[in-house]
Amino acid sequence: MMQRLFLTSTAVFWLAVLGFWIGSLSAPIAQPPAAPSVADRSISTAELAQHATPQSCWMAINGAVYDITGYLPDHPSRPQIIEVWCGKEASDAYATKTRGRPHSHEADQLLPKYRIGRFAP
Amino acid sequence: MAPRRLPGLLRRLSIPLLTLAVPLGFAWWAFPSELAPLRAAGIVAGWLGGGLLMVSLLLMLREPRLADWLGGLERMYRWHHTTGVLAYVLLLIHPLALAANGLATSPSFAWQTLSAFDGGWPVWTGWLGLVVLMVGLATAFSKKLSYGVWRWLHAGLAIGVLLGLIHLVLLGIDEPVLPIIAVVALIVGWRALRGDLGLAARPYIVAEVQPLTEQSVEIALRPLGQPLNVTPGQFLLVAFYRGPNYRGCGEFHPFTVSSVEHGDVLRIAVKALGDCTRQMLTMPRGVAARIIGGFDSVFAHHRAAPQLWVAGGIGITPFIGLLRAGPVPAPTTLLYLYRHEADAAFLDELKACAAADRRLTLQLEATGDALPDLKRLLPQAGQLIGVECYLCGPPGLIKGARSVLRRRGVTARQLHSEKYEFR
Repeated sequence: MMQRLFLTSTAVFWLAVLGFWIGSLSAPIAQPPAAPSVADRSISTAELAQHATPQSCWMAINGAVYDITGYLPDHPSRPQIIEVWCGKEASDAYATKTRGRPHSHEADQLLPKYRIGRFAP
Repeated sequence: MAPRRLPGLLRRLSIPLLTLAVPLGFAWWAFPSELAPLRAAGIVAGWLGGGLLMVSLLLMLREPRLADWLGGLERMYRWHHTTGVLAYVLLLIHPLALAANGLATSPSFAWQTLSAFDGGWPVWTGWLGLVVLMVGLATAFSKKLSYGVWRWLHAGLAIGVLLGLIHLVLLGIDEPVLPIIAVVALIVGWRALRGDLGLAARPYIVAEVQPLTEQSVEIALRPLGQPLNVTPGQFLLVAFYRGPNYRGCGEFHPFTVSSVEHGDVLRIAVKALGDCTRQMLTMPRGVAARIIGGFDSVFAHHRAAPQLWVAGGIGITPFIGLLRAGPVPAPTTLLYLYRHEADAAFLDELKACAAADRRLTLQLEATGDALPDLKRLLPQAGQLIGVECYLCGPPGLIKGARSVLRRRGVTARQLHSEKYEFR
């Protein structure tokens, strides 16, 4: 029975991997959405600091401010790691993940979706 | 002094409880709150799989006392296989669930989450670990490989576990991974040093080798130090090394004790089933051996009730061990199945025992190359009421005999078996 479970699960796994790959080929790579009209709004350090909770989480990264409240549940690390940066300038944390490793290419692609303005400290 | 035994219920529940407690403990410890459900499911599957892998590793230890607490080495090996495969299935679910979570963003984002090519070393190590487990398990199920090759390939599964642990470290997750690595290293090191290199073994020397059939011998082993505390019918793990004009393969193989003489000289029956055991047919006296044991015995819960003993081939050994120890305690029928009379070990001795003990009925059956007709050979339902049934032999025979006996009203508690399968 264990042998059958091994063979079945292995076959299903590779079929699923194949499915994900084919799915990615058929769908175009998501382009960063056009910046919303408010994208050039200036956001000060004081206003940024007012959004320092998981319920309203803004971060300043490389001169832009992002509202990532909706993304928090999907972030790969445990919430405590990212939530401490809510309401703060987080460029260094984004660049190093606090462990000397940069975020992935897909994270860079995803970020513009959440842009809400320019950071004006 | 015999080691203190756990109560029967605790022994029966020990492995199932361990199998639940460790993975659920891991999942509770690392349970992700406030994450998307599929992402949380992927993380939980990973930790459950990791926990089950730890249990599987623990169950590969070859320590007589641990085996006694956990209900026997054969049972440990059975659960080792089950927990290993279940861990593998959960570890397959882990990346798929994480990728499925990405589908909400886009199919290409889901693929980027899964693909090792975009993920750097943290993802690469996870993938490599999974592929090593996949290949290792595929070989573990192979019956064609010789035991020596199979053993090394199976040990290679530890590399998969190691890569999985590196995956955890590189991910930089905030659960303390180092204690887990320390426990895994302790278990693997313990098994390698005590089980494979034989630090847990006692030194013995071959005192006598008596041919039983063309393909089997009985080997007497004399202790070179403190003898093991074992009884006939228990099995041991024995490795043979150098001797006069002889070089053993040095691998630990399971053998059943056929008798214990003067409290220290052990006899084991050996049938040539592979290269290593075939070499033992020509073993001279004076060969060095190391022994770990004793482990389970089919007679661990022996009761003085009417009995049916079913032996297939070299599976006769525990029964001869019991017969040599004295007359049977209750009316007993011994059904001994073998291919040809020339292949039947201990045949003359068994006939002599039956002639001397009127409570022992010997039923000899040469099956030739055909499968035995167990429905004809095993007693009918009326003759099995209150009878304790002890079965020893190849897995196919045990499975067939158990099935027939259960259909004839024998309860699980009346059935005791030993399968001789340690892969």
